[in-house]
Amino acid sequence: MAKKIRAILVDLSGTLHVDDTVIPGSIEALKKLRETSAKIKFVTNTTKESKRILHERLARIGFSINKEEIFTSLTAARHLIDKRSLRPYMLIADAAKEEFSDINSEKQNAVLVGLAPEYFDYEHMTKAFRILLEGAPLIAIHRARYYKRSDGLALGPGAFVAALEYSTGCKSEAVGKPEASFFHSALEDLGCSATEAVMIGDDARDDVCGAMNAGLHGILVKTGKYRPGDESTVNPKPSYVAENFAQAVDHILSTWLISE
Amino acid sequence: MAVNSWLAEPIKGLLLDITGVLYESGEGFGTAIPGSVEAVKRLRETGIPVRFVTNETCATRAELIKKLHHHSFSVSEGDVFSPVPAVISLLKERGLVPHLLVHPAIECEFSGLVAGNPTCVVMGDADEAFSFANMNVAFRALKAMEDPKLFALGFGKYYKHKGQLQLDVGAFATALEFACDIKSEIVGKPSPLFFDAALSDIGITAKEAVMIGDDIVSDVGGAQKCGIRGVLVRTGKYTRSCENHPTVTPHFIANNLSEAVDLIIEAQSKNIHQV
Repeated sequence: MAKKIRAILVDLSGTLHVDDTVIPGSIEALKKLRETSAKIKFVTNTTKESKRILHERLARIGFSINKEEIFTSLTAARHLIDKRSLRPYMLIADAAKEEFSDINSEKQNAVLVGLAPEYFDYEHMTKAFRILLEGAPLIAIHRARYYKRSDGLALGPGAFVAALEYSTGCKSEAVGKPEASFFHSALEDLGCSATEAVMIGDDARDDVCGAMNAGLHGILVKTGKYRPGDESTVNPKPSYVAENFAQAVDHILSTWLISE
Repeated sequence: MAVNSWLAEPIKGLLLDITGVLYESGEGFGTAIPGSVEAVKRLRETGIPVRFVTNETCATRAELIKKLHHHSFSVSEGDVFSPVPAVISLLKERGLVPHLLVHPAIECEFSGLVAGNPTCVVMGDADEAFSFANMNVAFRALKAMEDPKLFALGFGKYYKHKGQLQLDVGAFATALEFACDIKSEIVGKPSPLFFDAALSDIGITAKEAVMIGDDIVSDVGGAQKCGIRGVLVRTGKYTRSCENHPTVTPHFIANNLSEAVDLIIEAQSKNIHQV
């Protein structure tokens, strides 16, 4: 039986583009998708680029995307903060603070950790530690061990989250992909359930497996970070494996049912 | 009395933590904890052997002794077991070249050992030297090693300084462990080797000793894992949550060192009379 779909979540980097290069056919495929009644959101893990910066790049390379259609791990953090009325102490990059500019920062009752080398020092870590000791929740944008930057490898937020967890005895909540809450939160304002949605991405574990564990369908594309055989390393297996985004869209349009 | 059953077996030696048990750290020399100077004196008078086991790595051993003497504690350098001399002999033994992420005040202790490409990272409580830049240099040093080795001088979660709780070396060592997917080797409490060194210096077994400290995990839990009785004091970094700790139950919780020492001395004198 054909799958019934109402919403499509699309990863950005590696699925629609790599840096400033469009993955061939993606702009046209997105246009085709927009002609249907499917609701679309662009979902990505980011710790320092705000929606505005991501949107500027996509527009520059030719995608017609609305800023409100972008849902990032920072947006997910923001949702969680609003939902629980948290006033977080933020160890996040200055560029990312745009998304949190109107948050009350008095009497902090949570700690939010992103990628913020400029704040991962004794003074800021100790401040975060003392807030957590009072029982405040620790929210991690994600838990990467390290990342690559122009001058070599650098410690990622996961290391500092692990440090705070050790000293306070608390457990952090991650908000980015592949957390189920991330996908559910992205679907929330589309008003559709997980089973009526599909996620398209190049990361077998974080995009596809994460989405499927959250109840969505998952399509893996063989672009970006994809390496041959990735689909067989994960469980559950992708609902479909496509050559690229354009072929994924064709597959959905020709074999699945898109409903209002 | 069941509460004091920990006193039933003879006590032939005491291991004492320093910071938070003898004095509270703070500006300058900090402040002696009321009754502690006299408690050490009483122990000396009764002849119960005492060794001081500390994870202090923000000062050289000589400076630490100076601080203790300033408060009139009767302590000599040979009685103090601290991680720096222990790790230095370990590095020499194994022919390792350390990359240091330690407090600037103790870097001098490692002079002569830091020549050449590092083959391990030695991490102590570096305090404000725990900057992102310094952490990253240590991280890259580990990533560059064929067989990355991380020595942590203690593995405390936090300690109390100037009346406030501060992150200790364990947090930052955990960060590097997580990033490099390795386990550190602990030199200091709660490493059994560290307790053993102090016990064999006295010449007693674990069962004959009592450890008194303010760190529920490192002092009390660490000692108990070696078979040493562990007593917690309600001074230093002690907080109420230690009273029902999920994994460690102290043999006894004393208000301070003085109370614990009084009970020990009293029990010893009874034991002697009974014999």
